[in-house]
Amino acid sequence: MAEKHDKEGKISANLSSDSVRVIAESIGFHGVPDDASTYLAEDCTYRLKLIVQEALKFMQHGKRQKLSTADFDQALRVQNIEPLYGFHTPDLIPFRYASGGGRELHFLEDKELDLQEVINSTLPRVPLDVTLKAHWLCIEGEQPAIPENPPPASKEQQKTEILDPTVKSAIDKSKKPGKLVDGGKARLRHKGGNELVKMKELSNHELSMEQQLYYKEITEACVGSEESRRSEALQSLSTDPGLHQMLPRFSTFIFEGVKINVVQNNLALLIYLMRMVKALMDNQTLYLEKYLHEFVPAVTTCIVCKQLCMRPDVDNHWALRDFAARLNAQICKNFSTSINNIQPRITKTFCKAVKSDKTVLATQYGAIAGLGELGSEVIKSFLLPHIKSIGERVQLATEGPVINNADKIAADNIKKALCKYLPPVLKSLRSANETVEEYIAEYGYLGPTIHSAVLKERQSSSAASVTPSQPTPRPTIQLPQQPKTQFVIQSGPSPTLPGTPSTTRFPPGGMSISRTPSTPIPGGSTNQQKIVIMSSQPHPTTPVGQSITLNSMTGGPNPTVVKVLSGSSSSNSSSVGNSGQKIVVMSLPPGNGTGNVQGSVVSPSTAQDLGIRSIFGDQPAHHMSLTKSEPDALP
Amino acid sequence: MATQYSPSESKDLVDQTSLNDANKTDLSDKQTLLAVLQFLRKNNFKETEGLLKKESGITDDDVKTDTAHPSASEVSYALAAYKSDDDPTLYDDHFTDLKAFIESCLDVHKVELSMILYPVFVHMYLELVFNQHEIHAKEFYEKFCMDQEDYYQEDLRKLSTVTKKEHMQENQLMDNFRSSKFIIKMSRDSYTHLKRHLQEKQLNLLLNIIQEHLFIDVFDGVPRTKQQIDSTAGGLLGEATREANKAKVLYGLLKEPDLNIPVEEEEETVEGEDRPKKKKPKKDPLLMKKSKNDPNAPANNRMPLPELKDRDKLEKITAFRETLKRVKIGPESLPSICFYTLLNSWQGVTSLETSEDSSLMSAGFADSLIRVWSLVPSKLRAMKTQEDLELIDKDADDVLERMMDDRTASDSKLLIGHNGPVYAASFNSDRNYLISSSEDGTIRLWSLQTWSNLVCYKGHIYPVWDVKFSAHGHYFASAGHDRTARLWSTDHYQPLRIFAGHLADVDCVQFHPNSNYIATGSSDRHIRLWDILSGNCVRVMTGHKGAVHSLCFSPDGRYLASSGVDGTVIIWDLSKGNMMSQMRGHTSTVCALSFSRDGGVLASGGLDNCVKLWDVNRILNEHDTDIDATIPSTLLVNENPKLLFGSYPTKSTPVLNLHFTRKNLLLAAGAMKIS
Repeated sequence: MAEKHDKEGKISANLSSDSVRVIAESIGFHGVPDDASTYLAEDCTYRLKLIVQEALKFMQHGKRQKLSTADFDQALRVQNIEPLYGFHTPDLIPFRYASGGGRELHFLEDKELDLQEVINSTLPRVPLDVTLKAHWLCIEGEQPAIPENPPPASKEQQKTEILDPTVKSAIDKSKKPGKLVDGGKARLRHKGGNELVKMKELSNHELSMEQQLYYKEITEACVGSEESRRSEALQSLSTDPGLHQMLPRFSTFIFEGVKINVVQNNLALLIYLMRMVKALMDNQTLYLEKYLHEFVPAVTTCIVCKQLCMRPDVDNHWALRDFAARLNAQICKNFSTSINNIQPRITKTFCKAVKSDKTVLATQYGAIAGLGELGSEVIKSFLLPHIKSIGERVQLATEGPVINNADKIAADNIKKALCKYLPPVLKSLRSANETVEEYIAEYGYLGPTIHSAVLKERQSSSAASVTPSQPTPRPTIQLPQQPKTQFVIQSGPSPTLPGTPSTTRFPPGGMSISRTPSTPIPGGSTNQQKIVIMSSQPHPTTPVGQSITLNSMTGGPNPTVVKVLSGSSSSNSSSVGNSGQKIVVMSLPPGNGTGNVQGSVVSPSTAQDLGIRSIFGDQPAHHMSLTKSEPDALP
Repeated sequence: MATQYSPSESKDLVDQTSLNDANKTDLSDKQTLLAVLQFLRKNNFKETEGLLKKESGITDDDVKTDTAHPSASEVSYALAAYKSDDDPTLYDDHFTDLKAFIESCLDVHKVELSMILYPVFVHMYLELVFNQHEIHAKEFYEKFCMDQEDYYQEDLRKLSTVTKKEHMQENQLMDNFRSSKFIIKMSRDSYTHLKRHLQEKQLNLLLNIIQEHLFIDVFDGVPRTKQQIDSTAGGLLGEATREANKAKVLYGLLKEPDLNIPVEEEEETVEGEDRPKKKKPKKDPLLMKKSKNDPNAPANNRMPLPELKDRDKLEKITAFRETLKRVKIGPESLPSICFYTLLNSWQGVTSLETSEDSSLMSAGFADSLIRVWSLVPSKLRAMKTQEDLELIDKDADDVLERMMDDRTASDSKLLIGHNGPVYAASFNSDRNYLISSSEDGTIRLWSLQTWSNLVCYKGHIYPVWDVKFSAHGHYFASAGHDRTARLWSTDHYQPLRIFAGHLADVDCVQFHPNSNYIATGSSDRHIRLWDILSGNCVRVMTGHKGAVHSLCFSPDGRYLASSGVDGTVIIWDLSKGNMMSQMRGHTSTVCALSFSRDGGVLASGGLDNCVKLWDVNRILNEHDTDIDATIPSTLLVNENPKLLFGSYPTKSTPVLNLHFTRKNLLLAAGAMKIS
């Protein structure tokens, strides 16, 4: 019934007699009698409706679902009425409403155009010519997942899939009952001992041969050395539909990659991984909520980790922290809800880092950037109260008795970060005529710096009121100037050969890294390289710690050791390496075609916390401790 | 005896009016003549006037006495049917009474009887408006409009715009309601119920309306169910009478000429043995050759068709060869779909068409251009100039190749000539011509060898919505806003036939594969099948709830698929004119329909950006062929949702054209919409 009333509401559109009177006045007829205007209004309404009914036919034959002014003109022509020439607009022109003086008016906004301006303006671009493009909408009933086709599983479907894995079968019809699923079920039932417990079915992310190849190509390109290939790969990640099947693998790839490369202080790889996160987040067809438990720790690690590169005093790891902080802010913005509490939890973590005097300055910088990106409210309540204590630490680092070069740089960067985030907030918070003294009283050591920054902000905003925001360009992530490391990522091409580096190529000399002498190098020799290939495949049959020596391929005198690791625990990795530059590569071979990546997630203990592990307490700390102990861990 | 057509009961209600009708027609003839005379006099055509008077035998006195008469009473005369002196409040009471009576009936009769509520409502409203009880009319409308079926709401909305007597003139919808009767099929039992009630209660007002504006087609048999009624209801003026679909339709295919293809003949026999000898729908047209005399096929000379040229024969041979490579498709072996997307079509694409052999595609644009693309590697070329043509050796084997100018080769060609959106285009069977129709009221014939306009056919004054070439060439049919469909031949600038009968715009037209019939779909929600030879309407099919925008004959010629604004796809059996299956699934207008080459699969696509595949074989298997079409209550409509076996959405491209290649690959096309 409600719908029917709706219809009724639509048809009762009538021209009022007042409107008729106004129109009459506008063309010079004054004092139209009441009954005449009423009659005219009714008649006009009827005629208008007739023409609209006629115009609808033209819309239908024009294969459109929106009535256009051209349709109306054509309807007029059919009725032998001269159409309104020159009145063409692709968009709706809304009626403006005005009331006053006891009259209510609806009118069209009709801007006056300066003819001179129209004549002198540059001509618009010639529209592109019509082209015909062919693609496969479906091949023998299967719709290929190419950008031309809609994504195989919409975001909504992916969302329901979380709660009910049976939806899965609707998404990919080709689902075969894998052995693993049955095994998993049986095990769980055995554990529970209660038949009535409703078990969450294992999600089966089965990859086709093409998808496996794609995964391999993309991951190789993303962390490889060729920038052009990487940008292509990232472009693909951010635009291609139909990646949802591979999403768990990508997320684990990033998660594990960050875990390991943080230990290795491999700044370049961390940056590449963060760019992957960004690309995945940009992809409109993906539903990332399920994988936040892997993304958030990875990103947070890249913000607050104590050491992200080999030479903290030279390398620009600050850019990575900034970039990750922005990613983090975007995650909070997109996914934080009152249930998962992402933002509060992340904020708490950062806050702890800011408050404590024991944290490394680099970590503190990361925490400041992380909080700063979260917006003015967060800055106001979590950053401002701690400025004084931060200031003291900065003072200590820059003017203290023992000046450490790395600390000094960190302190400078903290200053810069504060000068970037604080002024826009303080500008509105504090009155304009406050003096430096008041700032010093409030913010201690950093008072004068902040004061001048706020002043500058005020000036620039008054000078160019159109662009009130600071003109600092969103820094794009730049690779630190470091000799490019060459490495090849190997992923298991087929289930039968998990992690076998069948096509590994090592360009001779490509991996030697020239270092500045000031950088402390853990370990002695730098020429021996270690490649650790991680397989998170849970099969116990995979050979553990199998070493393959690829002497012939390196071309150099020093052998490259390729280590194949199995099992998803990363703690091994620190103990494996013994010297030199290490490149940690992971592959997630789809074991027996079913590669159940979610093994750990589905287990009852973690399934309880809504798919997001309490990462903020333990995981980053874990990373930090790893980093901290790293020099010792590497003999 | 049960099948006997018995409108006798309704006749005794109608008798009087039919007498009046006879008088009226006489009178109107004379009035026309008088009007012409007046016109001649006004314009001082004295001689012509004298001649006409002499011929028609009208005296000056006649003219004089009659001059005052028509002008004064023109309006009232035309609308006299609505004149009534009744108290406006009576309408409300009577309608309520009618509703109460229908409610009180047995359930079996209730659904049938409630069919009369809509026409009675409409005519009561119009009487109220005509007699200038405007406020009552409005009250009456608002009170009962919600009781009507959903599929009538669109018409009701149009009706509600009519609020004054003056509005009733020159309103298309009004004209239809006034001049034609609303047709309802009803079982004898229900009808007797109704008649008894009306006579007992002496509801003159109701009785009048039913007598004058309703035609009740009474059949013997059990009353129909709600579902059966709903499936055929929805037409602007109700259903089709059973009488309308009595004529025999020769739906069989023409006998193929003997082409002497020795190699293929052998293969054919092998294939023939492989396949179990099934009934018509399974057989493809070319293998039908052996069934020499199909009783349902028209004689090859029933319609004069052009002689086959050598080129046509070659074409048929290639077509036959390709047919042998055809893939069998169905729910078990799903087809592949290749989608052609038109990019950068900012001006709006109004039509897309693929040639029979899938080598050419044409697009008509809202800015009046037509563009033709080649879908195969060979490029489009124009013929050489006259001087160059003279130089060619005309006896050479490859003369056809030599006369084309390679310098003009391109992937697409532009045809400029129309003066409004191009609503349809159709390729000739040998791909030398393209016919197009436009909003400017013209139909144009284009040569695809010189890429220029050859003929401009001006017959329709109003926009021409659709035009189609016959499968045998030479003839083409058009349909337009002027509510007619026309048959033309390329060598006459005037139409050969004008098919009038639709009550609103004729939106689409389609040639029967044997070129003896055309089908038309209209905004009055009827589909009609016309015999080209006699010009008669041989089938009227109702059931769509919105304008019909696409039609497609099955390859064997027996079935017709139709669809339109309401988004349902309906399959009709032309032998009896009954609905076989109604398939719902589309959410918006369906613009394109195509049968697979073996007739087993129907593809549909529309503005909801989706291609859907329907299992026609299943419909045919589940269909009971022995039903008696004259008893509507025995007809069953297959609405099984399982008929849909494939649904393939596009990203944001409405599907405007669908075409199965000879090898059963589905080609779909549309223009990308930027939202």
